[in-house]
Amino acid sequence: MGDLRTPCGLFFTALGVILCALGVFFPGTRAPLTEANVNLYSGITMLVFGGVMLWLARRSA
Amino acid sequence: MTLARVDYLIFALYFGFVLGIGWLLKKRVATSEDFLTSGRSVPVWITSLAFIAANMGAQEMIGMCASGAKYGIMTAHFYWVGAIPAMLFVGVFMMPFYYGSRARSVPEYLKLRFDEKTRTFNAVTFATMTVFSSGISMYALGLLFELVLGWSFASSVLLSAAIVLAYTYLGGLTSAIYNEVLQFFLIVLGFSPLAILAVAKAGGWEGMASRLPPVMTHSWKYMSNSAENPMGVEIFGLVAGLGFVLSFGYWCTDFLVVQRALAANSMSGARRTPLIAAFPKMFVPFFVIVPGIAAMALMKMGLGYNLPVKGDSYNYDLALTTLMAQFYPSGMLGVGLTALMASFMSGMAGNVTAFNTVWTYDIYQGHIRKGAPDSHYLRVGRITTVAGVALSVGAAFLVQFYNNLMDLLQLVFAFVNAPLFATFLLGMFWKRATGHGAFSGLLAGTGAAALTHGLTVAEGKGGWLGAVHQFPSTMAQNFWIAIFAWTTCFLVTILVSLLTRPRPVSELHNLVYGVTDMPPLGGARWYQRPGVLAVVVLVVCVILNIWFG
Repeated sequence: MGDLRTPCGLFFTALGVILCALGVFFPGTRAPLTEANVNLYSGITMLVFGGVMLWLARRSA
Repeated sequence: MTLARVDYLIFALYFGFVLGIGWLLKKRVATSEDFLTSGRSVPVWITSLAFIAANMGAQEMIGMCASGAKYGIMTAHFYWVGAIPAMLFVGVFMMPFYYGSRARSVPEYLKLRFDEKTRTFNAVTFATMTVFSSGISMYALGLLFELVLGWSFASSVLLSAAIVLAYTYLGGLTSAIYNEVLQFFLIVLGFSPLAILAVAKAGGWEGMASRLPPVMTHSWKYMSNSAENPMGVEIFGLVAGLGFVLSFGYWCTDFLVVQRALAANSMSGARRTPLIAAFPKMFVPFFVIVPGIAAMALMKMGLGYNLPVKGDSYNYDLALTTLMAQFYPSGMLGVGLTALMASFMSGMAGNVTAFNTVWTYDIYQGHIRKGAPDSHYLRVGRITTVAGVALSVGAAFLVQFYNNLMDLLQLVFAFVNAPLFATFLLGMFWKRATGHGAFSGLLAGTGAAALTHGLTVAEGKGGWLGAVHQFPSTMAQNFWIAIFAWTTCFLVTILVSLLTRPRPVSELHNLVYGVTDMPPLGGARWYQRPGVLAVVVLVVCVILNIWFG
């Protein structure tokens, strides 16, 4: 394994997919002190981060 | 709090990835140096992030959030006065000697520069300390997971130790470092939503400031008098004790962090490692300390959120996890707790990989068996990894049974660590410093630390030789112990060095300033020059200090 960006990218993409799915299919799951759909927003952030990592890895390969 | 099935799925996903990275790196290990020092082959962006991740143990995360709740933004002094200047110093001024000497460890540098006894003193105390500190942080994690999730102490300790063992055994230092980067990203992405949500709920910085006493939201305003701030420290004790002695002692001489920089693939990379690491390090307070402050503000808002009480004050150590329970739904809650687990693992893997290198090269190769073929030391390194994890687990259980042991150990480590930076400073910048000087300086400095503790009292601690002085807080006491220890070590090293025979200058090549070829900078772009990076970091750090002053 020459490049850490690939496993990093895969890990955060997978996390992002799980969180986005929760946010979309169970939007009613809320924590006591917040109205925000925390899973959805965090999931999108992780998808973007994971995607950038994978793109960087592909670009340099 | 209870976890949903998806939270366990996230835990499992994380465990799968860290083990997978260890497995993929297994074939890179052919020699003992591949295993213990990464064969000096790691790109600089990776060593930089590992450099801070190895220091971000679970205790650090939980403790900094707790201090945020207890002391307020003043806690950021540990970063903006403590860590940052020391990280700049080690990168700009010390790395040329560490990396240039080709020493495989910090104690080995002492052997090359001074002598065997100085190296052995440092190696033995460091090895003992790493085993116990990973044991102590394992204990803290086990306790927290027992309290918060109802997991049994033994199973969370054993599970996390087994995973750290598996990936460090497979891929050695490279595996620990690669995983530290993954863990760093997870810590940032797992904790920062909490900071955003908690601060937003508390009405932003303005809202927090309006609900809390002003001392919580100003880092410098109340530092001139120790009676005015909850830390009980004054500017000189803070800047000299924390900013200079303790922080430089840790960031510039602790092999746990220096090892990450030494794994870099070039001198320039090794020097830039702590400098690049300083950029994210400066902003760590915003997602570990600030949520703690927000927790205190939230308690004043009548939302039903309260920190649990312990004795006659709050149990501040629970600030981080109680906030997660309030702001993270199932799913993100799993990510947050996995991030906490990740911070624990990065700290523990840091301890284990530093321990096995010091044991194998400085103690085993130095004293027990010299001149064996490399494959022998590779095997010893692997066995030491297993032994190190086993000893840490033992230490975690020991601390669980004898709670006072933890306080005692941390005290002894503080005594041993406080004078170290004086030894390295003189070793690297004064040709005349001798081995006898360094060794007696270290002993005298450690003795001075113990003596200061014995003669002063703070919050009922110390004073076992009689109370000559009373400190307003144990933090102030620690800072002043460090100041006395450092000064004693500095003076005794100089005195004894002048009385003993110096080493010929020809033997000090690449070890001391003035007889070392400083790395050329020609051709490097501006952002690759250590000096330029250091100035940029320093400017941003000063701005942060003023902004939150």
